[in-house]
Amino acid sequence: MAFLLRRLAFYLAAFLVAATINFFLPRLMPGDPIQIMFASAGSELSLENLNALKLTFGFIDAPLHEQYFAYLKSVFTGDLGRSIKYFPLPVTELLGRALIWTVGLMGIATVISFTLGSFLGIFAAWRRGRAVDSVISLGAIFSSSVPAVVVSLIMLFIFGYTLRWFPNGYAANPLIDPAWNWQYISSVLYHGTLPMLTLVFVLTGGFAVTMRNNMINLLGEDYIVMARAKGLSDNNVMLWYAARNALLPTVSSLAIAIGTILGGSLVTEVVFNYPGLGNTLYQAIIARDYPVIQGQLLIMTAAMLVSNFVVDLSYVLLDPRLKKA
Amino acid sequence: MKLISQLLQNKKAMTGLVILTIILLVAIFAPLLTEYSPVKRVGRPHQPPSWDHWLGTTRLGHDVFARLVYGARVSLAVGFGAGLMITIIGTVLGIIAGYKGGVVDEVINFFTNMVLVVPNLPLLLVLAAFIGQASPLVIAIILGLTSWAWGVRVTRSETLSIRQRDFVKSAEMLGEPSWRIMLFEIFPNLISIVGINFIGSVIFAVITEATLEFLGLGDPNTVSWGIMLYNAQNAAALSVGAWWDLLSPCFALAFLGLGLALINFAIDEIANPRLRTGGMLNRWTRMVRIGEGKL
Repeated sequence: MAFLLRRLAFYLAAFLVAATINFFLPRLMPGDPIQIMFASAGSELSLENLNALKLTFGFIDAPLHEQYFAYLKSVFTGDLGRSIKYFPLPVTELLGRALIWTVGLMGIATVISFTLGSFLGIFAAWRRGRAVDSVISLGAIFSSSVPAVVVSLIMLFIFGYTLRWFPNGYAANPLIDPAWNWQYISSVLYHGTLPMLTLVFVLTGGFAVTMRNNMINLLGEDYIVMARAKGLSDNNVMLWYAARNALLPTVSSLAIAIGTILGGSLVTEVVFNYPGLGNTLYQAIIARDYPVIQGQLLIMTAAMLVSNFVVDLSYVLLDPRLKKA
Repeated sequence: MKLISQLLQNKKAMTGLVILTIILLVAIFAPLLTEYSPVKRVGRPHQPPSWDHWLGTTRLGHDVFARLVYGARVSLAVGFGAGLMITIIGTVLGIIAGYKGGVVDEVINFFTNMVLVVPNLPLLLVLAAFIGQASPLVIAIILGLTSWAWGVRVTRSETLSIRQRDFVKSAEMLGEPSWRIMLFEIFPNLISIVGINFIGSVIFAVITEATLEFLGLGDPNTVSWGIMLYNAQNAAALSVGAWWDLLSPCFALAFLGLGLALINFAIDEIANPRLRTGGMLNRWTRMVRIGEGKL
């Protein structure tokens, strides 16, 4: 319990760091920060609306620390301001809509690639030095070292443009109304396949390499020899003695990997024109819609912290030593 | 030195080094490889590959091959520059935190963990968006300043275990100053970790630079692989069938990434002999396998 509380306090502090960066960044840039933040609005914003936005971002006639607390107050009350491009749409609503698609796409891709990568890693470690190991290791190295943007573009070129197996964009056929029926759901699945495959390709390698290296380090341990000496079957030793213990560090690497996964999903969404956070962010960058750009840092940090906390929880479950601490 | 001679005997490392050398030579001798300037209009827009233009032309009539070979300079410079910065910050902070311990360690460790949980790419995007059109140099600097945390974590935990060894204890007994111990006793034992951190950071920097530029945060006048992707995407290269425009920088990036990853994997194998499955160890496992029937 104490362990989890300590983690929670830490995550709160980390979130504060992200908010602090947001606060100081426009103020550190040369020039007038208000001008920088809201320049893309031009003269479309009425004075009243502009003043409301200024208040949200802490641009008040007061010393810096009071401005800072004003900004923190808006952040912690869930007010991230309004998008300038889609005024008056609140940033939280704009990003909330997009977040569903990203979480769906990324969540499923992470589960698939974590499972697939772990099994490939276990298998490669068990057959280390043989042909299977070389193929898996080299494939894993390749998949984890090629930029996600490159994989996305090549996938789009092959399966979208050349073979025409999958659509080139959008989360679903825009002509079908969103509803809980098979027609819409199948369209979502069909449109999601290519971005999903791309993400699985990008992510699996990293998990496989981590798992393989953990496994190989464990295979020399005494309890593995003991399990063999007891005459247990190969599969039994591989999965229940070696893999089970090798999984622990892999889970913690998953926590760090979530940040990279977010990044990978960003560009994949842009390439496949998928309506998730990444694409929303891309549109915001093009339009210099700073409230949205800042808001996504906070939302992605929050997403990262939540998933880290979930990993912490699973760590407690997987490693009994932590329960006592 | 031992690390280098071991690297030269490793097949994966050799392949990686050859790939890296090819790209390096291409970057250095770019003007000899192509007669075209990478920034001048030298042909009609979107010409397919031909004898005159080996990889075709872009929508603006630039020669794709010329841009590719000159662009290698930027990718390598940003990759190795930012990689070096990330590694130096990570190693210095990691050794100090691990060796000094106490309050110093707690402060460094706290900040490291904090930086680790703030997602990197979104943070970079915010920074780059406020900077505007970031030149490769600016991109390298912000990468260097924001991405050192992983290196600190790894270096610190390794330093913690080395600190307990006898040779460090005896150096302390002899009254060596702590900077000397950190530099001459601890650092040489971390060389493979530093190597992995360095190559990993170079991969990260190359990928991230290309990504930021692809997303439109780079300076569009730069000749680099990321800007090539950005221009090709903006010119809708795939939908108009100009695949050469988009796929050339794609393959270049994949090639560089593969070369670096092979080197990294090899250093990992050398640092951690259990992971090594070729050569000596292979013979050893086979002996064990014969002796034991299985394993």
